[in-house]
Amino acid sequence: MATRIRATTLQVAPAPTLVAPGTRSSDVTRDVCSPLERRPGRMWWIGLLIAGSALLVGVACVAYQIKVGIGTWGLDRTVGWGFDITNFVFWVGIGHAGTLISAVLLLFRQKWRTSINRSAEAMTIFAVICAGLFPVIHMGRPWLAYWVFPYPNGRGPLWVNFRSALLWDVFAIGTYFTISLLFWYIGLIPDLATVRDRARGWRRKLYGWLSLGWTGSARSWSRYEVACALLAALATPLVVSVHSVVSSDFATSVIPGWHANVFPPYFVIGAVFSGFGMVLTLMLVARKVMGYERYITQRHILAMCKVLVFTGSIVGLAYATELFVAWYSGSAYEQFTFANRMRGPLGWGYGIMVGCNVVVPQLLWLSRVRNSLLAVFVISLLVNVGMWFERYVIIVGSLERDFLPSSWSSYVPTPIEFGTLLGSFGLFFTLFLLFCRFLPMISMFEVKTVLAPEHGAEHSREGRA
Amino acid sequence: MNHPTSHDELLFPGDDPSPSRRAFLRLAGFGIAAGSLAGCSRRAPTSALSWTQAPEDVVAGRAWWIATTCGGCPSACGALARCRDGRPVKLEGNELDVDSRGGLCAAGQAALLGVYDSQRVPGPRWQGRSTTWAELDSQVGLELDALRKRGKVRVLTSTIHSPSTRRAIQDFVGHFADARHVAYDVPSAAALLDAHMHTHGVRVLPDMRFERARVVAAFEADFLGTWIAPVHFAARHAERRVPGGDRSMHVQFESRLSLTGSRADRRTRIAPHELRAALERLRDEIAVRAGAAAPARSSLREELGAAIERIAEELWGARGASLVVCGTNDLAGQLLVNEANALLENYGRTLDLARPSLQRSGDDRALEQLAGELERGEIDMLVCAGCNPAYELPSAFARALGRVKTLVTCSPEHDETARIAHCVAPEPHFLECWNDAEPFAGSLRLTQPTVPPLRDARTLRSTLRAWLGDTGSDREHIEEHWREAIWPRARGSESFEAFFRRALHDGVVELPRENVATPAFRGRVALEPSTPGPAGATLVLYAKVTMPSGAHAHNPWLQELPDPISKATWGNYACIAPGRAASEGLSDGDVVRVEAGGAVLELPVYVQRGQHEDVVAVALGYGRVGTDRFMRVGPQWIGASPTVDSGDAVGVNAAPMLAFEGGYLRSDVHPLRLVRTGRRAELARTQEHDTLQLPEDLAPHGHAERDLLHARDGHGGHGNPGLWPDDHANDGPRWGMTIDLERCTGCSACVVACQAENNVPVVGRDEVARHREMSWLRIDRYFAGEGDEVRADFQPMLCQHCANAPCEAVCPVLATVHSAEGLNQQVYNRCVGTRYCANTCPYKVRRFNWFDYAREDELANHSLNPDVTVRSRGVMEKCSFCVQRIQEAKFEARRTGRPLADGDVRPACAQSCPARAITFGDLADAKSAVARATADPRAFALLEELNVQPSIRYLGRERRAGRKEDPHGH
Repeated sequence: MATRIRATTLQVAPAPTLVAPGTRSSDVTRDVCSPLERRPGRMWWIGLLIAGSALLVGVACVAYQIKVGIGTWGLDRTVGWGFDITNFVFWVGIGHAGTLISAVLLLFRQKWRTSINRSAEAMTIFAVICAGLFPVIHMGRPWLAYWVFPYPNGRGPLWVNFRSALLWDVFAIGTYFTISLLFWYIGLIPDLATVRDRARGWRRKLYGWLSLGWTGSARSWSRYEVACALLAALATPLVVSVHSVVSSDFATSVIPGWHANVFPPYFVIGAVFSGFGMVLTLMLVARKVMGYERYITQRHILAMCKVLVFTGSIVGLAYATELFVAWYSGSAYEQFTFANRMRGPLGWGYGIMVGCNVVVPQLLWLSRVRNSLLAVFVISLLVNVGMWFERYVIIVGSLERDFLPSSWSSYVPTPIEFGTLLGSFGLFFTLFLLFCRFLPMISMFEVKTVLAPEHGAEHSREGRA
Repeated sequence: MNHPTSHDELLFPGDDPSPSRRAFLRLAGFGIAAGSLAGCSRRAPTSALSWTQAPEDVVAGRAWWIATTCGGCPSACGALARCRDGRPVKLEGNELDVDSRGGLCAAGQAALLGVYDSQRVPGPRWQGRSTTWAELDSQVGLELDALRKRGKVRVLTSTIHSPSTRRAIQDFVGHFADARHVAYDVPSAAALLDAHMHTHGVRVLPDMRFERARVVAAFEADFLGTWIAPVHFAARHAERRVPGGDRSMHVQFESRLSLTGSRADRRTRIAPHELRAALERLRDEIAVRAGAAAPARSSLREELGAAIERIAEELWGARGASLVVCGTNDLAGQLLVNEANALLENYGRTLDLARPSLQRSGDDRALEQLAGELERGEIDMLVCAGCNPAYELPSAFARALGRVKTLVTCSPEHDETARIAHCVAPEPHFLECWNDAEPFAGSLRLTQPTVPPLRDARTLRSTLRAWLGDTGSDREHIEEHWREAIWPRARGSESFEAFFRRALHDGVVELPRENVATPAFRGRVALEPSTPGPAGATLVLYAKVTMPSGAHAHNPWLQELPDPISKATWGNYACIAPGRAASEGLSDGDVVRVEAGGAVLELPVYVQRGQHEDVVAVALGYGRVGTDRFMRVGPQWIGASPTVDSGDAVGVNAAPMLAFEGGYLRSDVHPLRLVRTGRRAELARTQEHDTLQLPEDLAPHGHAERDLLHARDGHGGHGNPGLWPDDHANDGPRWGMTIDLERCTGCSACVVACQAENNVPVVGRDEVARHREMSWLRIDRYFAGEGDEVRADFQPMLCQHCANAPCEAVCPVLATVHSAEGLNQQVYNRCVGTRYCANTCPYKVRRFNWFDYAREDELANHSLNPDVTVRSRGVMEKCSFCVQRIQEAKFEARRTGRPLADGDVRPACAQSCPARAITFGDLADAKSAVARATADPRAFALLEELNVQPSIRYLGRERRAGRKEDPHGH
């Protein structure tokens, strides 16, 4: 796919341009820096109020749960994971689009990534923060969460279990967060320097600190681009590895519906799919609210729609593969699990999952739908709903009815769990709104490389990137 | 009703409701000395010894086993109390008891908690005020003096199995011009006793030897669950239930699905009103085969008639080795049964009157007479002991109790009778006192204290003797009685001291049989011709396996123990047959109003398959006053709903609906009206999918049900070839277990044994409803079939200690690891609580501590086993194969310098099982019982295809003809 798009971009001038025609470098700097320099608008405050309230609800719920016990959740002896791990996998998945856009598309020299990569990376980091929260709070004794790290200790020393997929989760998420943060921050440095140069007083000092004394010399750029390429190369395998590891939590167990070979690629593509859904949601809102229509153009949205319809189709294929394998395995347990998944008590969840993830994205084949911002926005939301339900159906649906019918149960989440889910969205959007306000949301220096080609000099530098 | 903690203060102002911790320790210090001395019976405990002068053999941390007798019910099973640090922490069956054979039922084991019940009456009370025994004796003495020459004195008790107490009652009663002892039982066996009075001239129960019976026909007799002495019957019955040549056949005729009926080979539903006619037909069919002229046929439902004919033929074929038992409290019915058994030549073979059972002696006619006297206000003094007449008898009786001039109760708790009594002379818990028992003629048990009395209490024996001016101690009274009446019957050469010491040590004494003629059948008793009872809806009141009587209602273990059939906890419910439920539009949890016998109850519905359509069944033993103490049991958080509302009770009391009919206390009541209320009250059940049948629309083709109960052809359960070498190889023992599904009756004794041994918390109704019961060992119950064909299969389910355990691989912090001896071990203090292990466990046996479970009752905490960690919140737990017992046995073997022998280690569940369904031992030792059992062709590993290689093998049920079996092997 990437190759095809690349070919288009190189051969023909992009039909809808990456940046509105007539935009100059100085426009870019002004447009991107100005939200940081003026007082935030009404919309931003309303957004922060809502997100912050949701976050507070989540904080209260988590505090109560940690004080009283996991029993405040609706889990039981049969269903040991519910909203907690569903939310975890959901948020990890969201993160994937950011890495894919910033690292993989950078390596593939996809210019359309320039105006969205910064936000997408920020989204990755915030999503991973949200995700990382759940494995900690889902523990019976979260105050001992550090026991999952293999470090020399005085308790034996006790070591960790390298056979456990959960341990690899710790490594995968830890690595992912570290690399993503580094990559994002390094990418910010030239723009932070730009902000510094425009600022006065304490803000100048602050951004001066943050830009690590960036001078913009040719040598700096040269070093900078090597570092970016290296980090991109490091981050690229993470796109595949993180969700593969997460999927191993399930795939390595014996529970029908979890124990499936297809899980790693299935989870990875699902993650990219959901991540692009979230990027679309955020970008459509941001370009409207922040007034970035000239930088996040129809061209970007179309590209992301194509990714969405492509990954959505693969997700559909994965669903079909699961069903085929269940049938082909000849295992009565597997066959029952999938019959139960489709038509059992959580059949409605399966319906939402297939509807939102497989059927709805197919609408994007139609250019009329693709070009309607509202339709794309709705579809992006549905993709996120569908992907959340995919994890819920896999986790809860498989646990509810496994081998011994005596232990079958039905999981009913408590208000505390809904509050925690709400809180994770609150955390995500609070962080994102703060990001919009305090950091340049669009990578200025990279957008300047894709401005209309009247600035011939820009080309040569871009070639090195 | 007030808050439970302030409860006692209000009731007993000025009394200390429970001993303080310090006082308890002081008592406990005394206890270990007293207990151990008593256990060795070197000398009677006379003074407290401090730890600095501890007896030589007392080692802190080492358990003492004291032989005693279970006081949970009148069956009087021999028991051993395991004492630690001067207090009993576990009750187990005594293997020297030839009847219980080391088994002990759920209620018996749970009775341990009673000794630590903080709501027991602290001491004697007179006219509502606390008093001293001296004061009470003088007050009662004054009254008794006035009554000596004229005045009616009655002693009302449940069955008294203690010969020395019976003697004390006789002496007491003999002191008055008009005094009598009346005994009763609920549910009553009076008709069975009276029938033997008529047919054999002795008012006893024959000892039922199920192990000698090739064919057993039981009519409304839940002999494996609640009827008379289920532990004894289960032990005997199980002997003949193992597939093979001499497997007995068991046919059950019953109105509701009892535990016994669920295990029958054939089962026919019968309405209570059909019972007498059915027994008459049975008697006639057998009589014809014995050569009598064919009598006129009574009218009987056709299918029922056919079933009776069939069983008659089978019984006749096995005459002399057959058994007809019947639980009805109808004299005519019982006479027919006796005649049938006599015709079948069962007396002297499967029914033993030479060593009759004295486990029930209740006399309903005397009780009814007493009711009349009470009604007329004629009784001057009524002394109640071991019973709670204000609660467990028909409401008219309870009302009439108010007319007694002086009502005395010996109840240890502030129960319904104590609340209206003038005088409370509390009895101690059976673990605190001396006592004796004679459950079978010539088979005696001794009870000795395991802990000094925690309350100021006195046995009925001492109380009655004190009122006659004899201030001797219980031990003196018992020794005296044994010296005079028991020792001579032993006819041995031992001195009395040696005889008594042996009895104390063993806990049981079997006296030689006396050379008197066994009473013989005297011939048919003329009966008025049977009139078919009125048809239509009938209420059947029954005793529940997990709550045999209201006396246990304050026991949280039993309240939370799931009923083996319904799997419901915390309360009773109206069992309704599926057809009736459908026609009335009722489903599980709909609250109905049950109107019968002049009383009204509101209960949730439980739709019970296998029940007769005309029958509504309600369990007795619930609705006890004061059970709102469980209001705060379990975690308290914003989403929790209380187990019981303040002032309310757990369940409702159905006893007011009991009725006298023809001189007998009948537990089937007619007519019955059922009214739906429109409200709902969800039952807290531990299992909600009741069958192995998969939901119809979801079942894969050819796999309509899961086959979890049978060995599969061609598989011996010996695992699949692995990819990796066995990394658990070792040369020590490899612990394993077999569970025989044919022997298991589902009685749930093992569940309570495990709870007591392993400090498993009680979590309350709300948590059970949220599927968060904590039991390490549960009994999965799967129904098969409908209507008459219904059957229940029980499968005790506990950690399978897989050699290739999925849980071990997934724990990120290595909190669950494999031991060199094949145990799957949970390390509580390493666990961070990810619950990953529980998710991936295919047997779902892991239990998570969702909360810090309340252990606020300091006194009740003394029942905790000091050898087992009390788990805190946030950690996973599960069956450990009683690793503490394994370690104890290993240490003991090392200490005594001998190798560990087969049978040295027995987990609590295996120990308690009356049917001996569980075998535990070393699989590496080919000669061990468990290794031999594993070689049984019925042995299979559950979910073998997962290759988790469990250490437990189930000995599967036999495949039966006539049932669609659908093994889905791979």
